[in-house]
Amino acid sequence: MANMTFENHIMKQFDEEIEEIRTRLMEMGGKVEQQLQNAIKAVSEADSSLAQEVIEQEQVVDEMEVEIDESCILIIARRQPAASDLRLIMMVTKAVNDLERIGDEANKIANHAILLSEDGGSTRGYPEIRHIGTSVVKMLANVLDAFARFDADAALQAIEEDKQIDLDYKTALRELVTYMMEDPRSISRALNILWVVRSLERIGDHAKNLCEQIVFVVKGKDIRHK
Amino acid sequence: MNNKSQVLSKIQSSLARRNRAEARFRWYGRMAIFIGLLAVALLFIDIVSKGHGAFRATYIQLDVRYDQALVGIDNLTDAEQLIAGNWQALPKSALRTYFPDVSGRSDKRKLYKLLSNGAGFDLKDRLVADPSLLNRIESVWILADDDIDTYYKSWLDGNPYDARMSDKQVKWIHQLHQEGQIALHFNSNLFTRGDSREPEQAGIRGALMGSFFTLVLTLLLSFPIGVSAAIYLEEFAPKNKWTDFIEVNINNLAAVPSIIFGLLGLAIFINVFHVPRSVPIVGGLVLTLMTLPTIIITSRAAIKSVPPSIREAALGMGASKYQMVLHHVLPLALPGMLTGAIIGMAQALGETAPLLMIGMVAFIVDIPGGFSDPATVLPVQIFLWADSPERAFIEKTSAAIMVLLSFLIIMNTSAVWLRKRLERRW
Amino acid sequence: MNTSNIAEKEPKTTAKLSSEQTLEIEDNHITVGSCFSDNPKMTMRNVNVFYADKQAIFDVSLDIEKNEVIAMIGPSGCGKSTFLRTLNRMNDTVDGCRMDGDICMDGDDLYAPKLDVVELRARVGMVFQKPNPFPKSIYDNVAYGPKIHGLADSRVDLDEIVENSLRKASLWEEVKERLHQPGTGLSGGQQQRLCIARAIAVSPEVILMDEPCSALDPIATAKIEELIEELSENFTIAIVTHSMQQAARVSHRTAYFHLGKLIEVNPTEQVFTMPQHQLTEAYITGRFG
Repeated sequence: MANMTFENHIMKQFDEEIEEIRTRLMEMGGKVEQQLQNAIKAVSEADSSLAQEVIEQEQVVDEMEVEIDESCILIIARRQPAASDLRLIMMVTKAVNDLERIGDEANKIANHAILLSEDGGSTRGYPEIRHIGTSVVKMLANVLDAFARFDADAALQAIEEDKQIDLDYKTALRELVTYMMEDPRSISRALNILWVVRSLERIGDHAKNLCEQIVFVVKGKDIRHK
Repeated sequence: MNNKSQVLSKIQSSLARRNRAEARFRWYGRMAIFIGLLAVALLFIDIVSKGHGAFRATYIQLDVRYDQALVGIDNLTDAEQLIAGNWQALPKSALRTYFPDVSGRSDKRKLYKLLSNGAGFDLKDRLVADPSLLNRIESVWILADDDIDTYYKSWLDGNPYDARMSDKQVKWIHQLHQEGQIALHFNSNLFTRGDSREPEQAGIRGALMGSFFTLVLTLLLSFPIGVSAAIYLEEFAPKNKWTDFIEVNINNLAAVPSIIFGLLGLAIFINVFHVPRSVPIVGGLVLTLMTLPTIIITSRAAIKSVPPSIREAALGMGASKYQMVLHHVLPLALPGMLTGAIIGMAQALGETAPLLMIGMVAFIVDIPGGFSDPATVLPVQIFLWADSPERAFIEKTSAAIMVLLSFLIIMNTSAVWLRKRLERRW
Repeated sequence: MNTSNIAEKEPKTTAKLSSEQTLEIEDNHITVGSCFSDNPKMTMRNVNVFYADKQAIFDVSLDIEKNEVIAMIGPSGCGKSTFLRTLNRMNDTVDGCRMDGDICMDGDDLYAPKLDVVELRARVGMVFQKPNPFPKSIYDNVAYGPKIHGLADSRVDLDEIVENSLRKASLWEEVKERLHQPGTGLSGGQQQRLCIARAIAVSPEVILMDEPCSALDPIATAKIEELIEELSENFTIAIVTHSMQQAARVSHRTAYFHLGKLIEVNPTEQVFTMPQHQLTEAYITGRFG
């Protein structure tokens, strides 16, 4: 099943509907990716107005989730998709959920960015956040890429990236705990940073879910919890 | 927008043309049906107008004295005496009594000719039926001669035909008419007697019985043979050149002129198998040959029209082919087969030509009592009467045609009724 | 177990998709999936069927398991009905139809010369596409099989068989008041259930169904499908259907035929979520057919 294609249905409208759903999903992915990048930027540059923008974006993403979900339900009701079509539609309903959750996490990061900027920007520029943030953004980009090309191998590689992110998260956690013990005054700041890092780690997990769903679409195998 | 209205106007203009064409076509159809109905109506009007008279015959009422001495018998139970008796003396004396002033040989002969020459035998039958009448006087309606019959009926219609009447006879008739002694009564002879040279005594009973025996035999032979052949060909026979050949030949046989079957019957049944001629047996055999193709073809069509799903259902249940045919195909095809058989029978009933070839055209007075008695059939009887010179046979011919047509109509109607009735049940 | 993967070497036969794209089947295609069973009711090996000169079925080998419902799907003219009809030798009635290969039921060769086809059809019942009750009463329809095979010793026996069969076909409650009215007066779905009752009245071991719901409305279809589910407890059922959803709903295994070849046989849940062969995938997702 090297080249996944969702074209050539006898019903041309079916092709179009599936294409529409894919485009909408990619669009939503793009929006969420943008949100994540902006949120991280808002944190590191203590840019509360950018953070505000991210929070406002959240509503758009929520609406897209609902829309795409509705389209999927409509396709299931009208076309009774089977095999690859069925897997794709099921994947999309789950993927929009994960993407929306990523958007939620970005939203949280933006909220913490506002709190952090109120405390005054950091001279050091939060290296933990920058490091994990870069990895997560890269991973999300890879995942969305894999989805666009239905590339199961790329998805499987992206799953490996999540393991690295988890490791980095633990390292960052230890580091932040050390800071808090060294300097109790920094606890509230460190906690804010901790929440941001934690959100980034959650985003990594959602991205991993997306990867698993891509593999399910392409290979028909469920690799969750394995 | 312009284009759209153009299309619309084109459609509208062609619509008018199409509607006109359709209306025209309907009128053609109506005309065709009208012409057909007109032809049938003319035929019926002609036949009925000619033939209705035959159902009534002229009778003359006379006081008959059953005079023992006049007839010359003394014992009514003695068959020989009954045969030898001078029965004609009875009506003659009755006439002389009624017209006492007629004298002279030639006048008397003319007088006697007023009555049918079978009148004496009719009186004999009355006497035998009621021996107490002997030597008594009874007022009897006696059958008139055919010439009198013709004259009296035409005179009643206001257009007297007196070519075969003498002035005296005309005078007597008028006298009888004024005295109410001559009248038209229902002609039971038509239905109770066989053929006769004397039109007033001729009936179609012999021909009817002949037709009946012939058709019974035809039905008994052709229906089972035809249906069996149709079932075999349709259900069991392999589809190959042989069965194609047989099918083509059956279709050809259906189109063969019927007289050929008569020739075949003459050559095979009479000359080779020495079946007696002129009897219903040979007639039935020949008509069987003639109707077989019709029955086979209609039966095959009926079998073909049984839906294959029923056959599949039966076979799928594990019915053998024989069970499938007997339990399912045959009951469903039966209405069609019966219709075909009745139509074949109607055809056979109306058939003349083949029967001419096998001697069923003979002049037969006795009413046949079985399959081996010489007989003629209704259409042949019509043919014979149409050929006879006596004017009175004209109305007899038409009357016989009316009887034949009513039988055909009854048969065809019953075919339609039977089909509808049986089809509704299934 | 035969699990050869999709190979695209030596493509000879091609299936046209709705657009320009084509899929290929090898000339000597080997069926993909699990076509053999450890507990077979019927076994078919290398079955070929010919109509005169035209070959309709190419080298099909398949086991039908005891008490399973196996669905046969495929585009029109793919040979699935022909294949089904070889299982009770209904093809014998078609002129010029010839078959080679082995078909056995419980080890008995169905095409052995000494085997009487009448006995076979009592063991392998059939339900047809169009409901085809006999134009007789409901009672006589069901009683027909037992009567011709002499299964009932008395009138009471026969009554019991009729009632049981109608009950099993979930028709008893609807018709018990009018057993002696014509079966053709029932609705389409009832007629089809009557045909099923008629088929099970002779206690067959296998029931073949040739598109049994194609002439029925969805409610009647649902009732038949429910019935199939119940019947599978006692009977082995092979069903040909044009409706993939129906195959998905009622069957345990699904066999996909294409141009006379058996492309894939797999458990139904696999066929409808993750078919093994490209052609199956293309067919069930509605890309040709």
